[in-house]
Amino acid sequence: MRAKKNMEVESKRPETKAKTLPRKTVKKTATPIKTAPAPKPQSAVEHVSDGCVLIRGIVNGHRTPSRILEEQIQQMIQDGARNVIVDADGQHGIGGRIWPREDAVKITIQGTAGQRVGSMGFDGTEIVVKGSSSDDIGWINCGARITVLGDVTNGAFNAAAQGILYVQGSGGARCDTMTKRNPRFEPPQSWYFRNVGDSFAEFKAGGIAVVCGVNPRNPDNILGYRPCVGMVGGTVYFRGNIQGYSERDVKLLDLSDQDWEWLTANMKPYLEAIERTEHYGELTRSINDWKKLVAFTPQEKAQKKKYKIDIKNFRKVGWDKEVGQGGIFAEFVDHDLSLLPYVTTGNDRRNKPIWANDKYAPPCAAGCPSHIPSHKRATLIREGRLADAISLVLEYSPLPATVCGTICPNLCMTSCTRSHLDAPLAIDKLGKLALDIPAPKKADPTGHKVAVIGGGPGGMSAAWQLALKGHTVSLYEASAKLGGKIEMCIPHERLPQEILQKEISRFKELGVTLHLNTTVDQKLFEEIYKNNEIVIVAIGAHQPRKIAFPGSEQITSAYDFLRSVNMGSAPDLKDKKVVVIGAGNVGMDVAIEAYNCGASEVTAVDIQKPAAFGKEMQAATAKGAQIVYPKFTERYDAAAKKLCFKDGSSMDADVVFMSIGDVPVLSFLPPDVHVEKGWLQVSDLGQTTDVKVYGVGDATGLGLVTHAIGQGAIVADVVHYQMAHAPRAPEMKQKIAYERIKTQYYETCKLEFELNAEGNRCMSCASCRDCRMCENTCYEQAISRIDLGNARYEYVVDENKCIGCGFCAGICPCGVWEMVENV
Amino acid sequence: MEPAAGITLDNNHKLSLKELPYLIRWRDDRCKRCGRCTAVCPVKAIEPGVRVQRVTFSEGPVPKPGSQRRVVHVVEQVLDAARNCVGCATCSLVCPNEAIEPELNPNNKILHYKNTGGDGYKRGGRRNDPSISVLDRLKFTRISMLTDPALDAGRHEFRVRSLLGRILPPEELPLKAVDGRLIVDSRAGRFIPPVREIFPIMIGSMSVGALSPPMWEGLAMGIAYLNEVEGLPVVMASGEGGMPPRLLRSRYLKYFIIQIASGYFGWDEIVRALPHMVEDPAAIEIKYGQGAKPGDGGLLMAQKVLKLISGIRGVPQFVDLASPPTHQTKYSIEEAVAKMIQSMSMAWGFRVPVYPKISGTKTARAVLNNLARNPFAAALSIDGEDGGTGAAYNVSLDKMGHPIASNLRECYLDLVRQGKQNELPLIAAGGVGKRGNLAANAAALIMLGASVVSIGKYIMQSAANCFGDEHNRCNLCNTGKCPRGITTQDPKLYRRLDADIVAMRTVEVFKSANTELKKIFAPMGRSTELPIGMSDGLSIDDKAMAERLGISYAC
Repeated sequence: MRAKKNMEVESKRPETKAKTLPRKTVKKTATPIKTAPAPKPQSAVEHVSDGCVLIRGIVNGHRTPSRILEEQIQQMIQDGARNVIVDADGQHGIGGRIWPREDAVKITIQGTAGQRVGSMGFDGTEIVVKGSSSDDIGWINCGARITVLGDVTNGAFNAAAQGILYVQGSGGARCDTMTKRNPRFEPPQSWYFRNVGDSFAEFKAGGIAVVCGVNPRNPDNILGYRPCVGMVGGTVYFRGNIQGYSERDVKLLDLSDQDWEWLTANMKPYLEAIERTEHYGELTRSINDWKKLVAFTPQEKAQKKKYKIDIKNFRKVGWDKEVGQGGIFAEFVDHDLSLLPYVTTGNDRRNKPIWANDKYAPPCAAGCPSHIPSHKRATLIREGRLADAISLVLEYSPLPATVCGTICPNLCMTSCTRSHLDAPLAIDKLGKLALDIPAPKKADPTGHKVAVIGGGPGGMSAAWQLALKGHTVSLYEASAKLGGKIEMCIPHERLPQEILQKEISRFKELGVTLHLNTTVDQKLFEEIYKNNEIVIVAIGAHQPRKIAFPGSEQITSAYDFLRSVNMGSAPDLKDKKVVVIGAGNVGMDVAIEAYNCGASEVTAVDIQKPAAFGKEMQAATAKGAQIVYPKFTERYDAAAKKLCFKDGSSMDADVVFMSIGDVPVLSFLPPDVHVEKGWLQVSDLGQTTDVKVYGVGDATGLGLVTHAIGQGAIVADVVHYQMAHAPRAPEMKQKIAYERIKTQYYETCKLEFELNAEGNRCMSCASCRDCRMCENTCYEQAISRIDLGNARYEYVVDENKCIGCGFCAGICPCGVWEMVENV
Repeated sequence: MEPAAGITLDNNHKLSLKELPYLIRWRDDRCKRCGRCTAVCPVKAIEPGVRVQRVTFSEGPVPKPGSQRRVVHVVEQVLDAARNCVGCATCSLVCPNEAIEPELNPNNKILHYKNTGGDGYKRGGRRNDPSISVLDRLKFTRISMLTDPALDAGRHEFRVRSLLGRILPPEELPLKAVDGRLIVDSRAGRFIPPVREIFPIMIGSMSVGALSPPMWEGLAMGIAYLNEVEGLPVVMASGEGGMPPRLLRSRYLKYFIIQIASGYFGWDEIVRALPHMVEDPAAIEIKYGQGAKPGDGGLLMAQKVLKLISGIRGVPQFVDLASPPTHQTKYSIEEAVAKMIQSMSMAWGFRVPVYPKISGTKTARAVLNNLARNPFAAALSIDGEDGGTGAAYNVSLDKMGHPIASNLRECYLDLVRQGKQNELPLIAAGGVGKRGNLAANAAALIMLGASVVSIGKYIMQSAANCFGDEHNRCNLCNTGKCPRGITTQDPKLYRRLDADIVAMRTVEVFKSANTELKKIFAPMGRSTELPIGMSDGLSIDDKAMAERLGISYAC
């Protein structure tokens, strides 16, 4: 702010007027060289001697404006003056901008020097200020040598690029800021005798500053507050105490010999200039009295550590020391505290593969109520073991040609994954091929005795399985033939008798003791119960269900009708209109046989969407059967031959069959064996409320023939273990998800059955086909096939190589590999 | 319904790629099938698969068909709304061949499907609003050059500091002169509220549990470093869920603000540590609301409640930990504020500033006016809608809450009208540094009236390379599957994160924020005191916003 007050407004002081005005009393602290007597009028410029002029800054009491003073100085030098004495009154920029001449030019300033003395000074200009100077002395100095016999105020030598500043006293704030060095010239020098003020050498980019520290105003800190901020070049030599500097920018060093040599050599002319030669000894007493501040080079800055303490070191000496070894959570974690990569192996994997061979059931086996593993037949075909492939089914069913090959809706094929590509595996045909295969070898006799009541598919299945396991089986059948409903109720058209009879005779080969034409009553049951370890009730459902409505007594049951047809006593239905109440598969069989008996028109009605499906429905509709629903029957008018429904409609019906299912006749069972709502109560494993009694097939609830066969096999299994005093439940595998089978590997093919081809059409769901796809795919080479001998093998994973990527699981044709969480 | 007999369903009810928010761009020609991408995908949105290619061709002068069939292995995207690619790009990160990259599908319809099982879509992260926020539209337009005068951020020394705690007006301060200096007479019999001098940007509440051990510890260690080594008094709030006992007993406790929220987890452990504390905490924050999910509570899933969480929160392992949306015994502002502030102050002998944190809301002024009359209230923290969270319903994140700028501004101007703007500090949060402009956003909030701003997502991003962005990228914080190891309790994931690097980055973030704040304040002529409420320095390029904020409009 002081600087602003010293600024002048020249337009207010016209020079013409100034010259005429008398000089008034001047208050000055500096002693003028020459004092003129007051009354005598002064001239602005006075020739003192040859080449020497005095220029007055105050003429007759009027201050000369800076512009005029500058003109006068330049003019005098132009006119040959080489020694100019300026009697200054605070004029701006005295002594600068004097272009190089042949001779040196000396400017001596007495009186009050203004701001920016010697600014933009040139080589050859010497300026001596006889006293202190104002701000910014030597501003953008380009070579002038400036000596100040007093103090310099703020901003001395700001932006100086060449030349010298000698100061007899101290520097103000922000001295030596922005000084620089042009490589074409010698660096600028600035010398301060006492001390300097705050913010010294900010952004210094070059040049040498010397602060001698003689009799400093603040003996504790001769460089002021925060020197060298932003300094990037040059050197500051100093002698005395300091209180910090910008450590980010400069470093504090001892003087080198070269430094010392330069300093002591240049000290002499400096001291001479400021008239303090007597201090030479003191100032050059010891190199150790001096220090220097030099800027870090860009390279040093780049290499400088960004942190005062490395963070790892801080953890050691600060954090862990304060909070405890291992950090704040160490007491709660029990794992290794080291880092993990994103891709890991071994226990650090997030997921890992499992070779889950045969862990899941393929859709065919899972869909088959008899649990026949057809995929294993395909494996045997691929291995060239065709006979084994065909006979395998006999381990699961005594009636493969009859059931799988002929009457079964083949749920296995409906489920087959191959059907997603072209058509299911021809499991029905595989079943039929088993027709001529002899019964498998029985196991050695065990001596265990089991009775099976009922010679239908359920009873035959249980007896077959138990006999194969070596047990002694007695089978009781009320009718004269084995086969139950297959024999009695399935139209021969759908089931050629020779197939059934052939399989029944194979069944007989097993040596089951047959008691045909033997109806089991309470008494006989007691006897059987007593004489056998286990009794399996497989009597089927042979009592037709009927609903009572007006005229229902005129209606024949499906059971009776079908049985009469198969027994050879079919009614004549020629040109009759037939209505079947109940449009399930049995209803379809009724429709077929009704057409066979001459019916002109058969309609099946149901109260809901018909349950009929598959071959039965196809056969019936092929013959012309109509299915109508929902229809709730109200009455049958036998006289009018009309079946009336609750919705008010009616149908012509010469004959009506009721096909709403059959129920078992279980009156022979003792009360201990629980029967509920007419059905034998059994668990999933066929167990009744009596541990010795098991139930199988339609006696426990209506189902398909294949259901009865499956239940017979399960019960046989359970009974087998129970008799061996090692009870256990047969393993029921979960069905594998279709998405896991990679059908893409297989080509769609034209469908002509050929046994060998079926082996390769099978996609081997959930069962390893030993194709080595996984081994070849694994990028980390973590999968190996191990030969276990006897044609057995397994695939194993080297967990130190495996990264848990899931490629094995993603590309396994059979869905055998699965990824599980690695815990 | 069952498929018709003999029919196999194929794409029925399968989502098309176009529904998904991110599409995997996989390059067959670059991929070497090394499986690194599928090994790291946090949501199993990609899996190895098998594809068949079949080409029929004819060679020779007459039609002579041949065909070639090739089955190849690929990496494919899962078309399942429960496993949709979240765009985190961990796959790209680990891919040695630059063969895979998720690409944002701006036309996705995933929100229509994120409700399977009848529950709303829950996620972590932020509000998913990529537009430029008000904070980022604020400009500093009052630049001093020849006026004021100009300051140089590099040359001038700055004190970028703020005060946390209630500051009594001079006439109420019991001052006395000792040796020619004014000091506060602590024996004057008047309650002198505790005040802390802190850096004006703090790390907001993120709990042990929401954050993984290395993340929380890294931040905490960085905070200790900043204070101890750099002399930068940055504080960090604990979040609800207790404090590590080792920290409670350490000297560093003074750099931490302990949060108490509606679940009160870990508080018995904190109370039991009271006799062993060698330092008071920086402050106590009472959480009433969170900007990201106002009115939505928190639930730490049982599978995250392992030994560590159980120990620190003082609960059994493997139980769900629910923080209800509200405190169960507080039914009014008066009751809640008075009761809680008094209790928490009392626990530390009234030596620790205690302040409530609420979510940005139109009712913030009501809370503020109540606090202004409460001598123990040390501040009010307001968390705006752009705040983040570890877990919330998407609807709460996207649609609930109030933007911070005008909310803070009206609170500050309310204080001004009461002449109390220098008494009760406001802490602002929610979207600070959303686009990376940490210092600018903080400075803008300060000039709108905040004494302190609080950050969360910014530090997760800067210190731990969080994948999240405003396009719902990643945002898996709630699932425990954070691919960066920031918000998970699974050691296999969090051991990817180096606490030392988190600490180092935290230090760098605050050091540079300190510099950048100076670069903003210096040209505006401020160097000694924080320009709190210096709204004449701010402008915005929208007239309505300018009017609402009481600042000038510049374009």
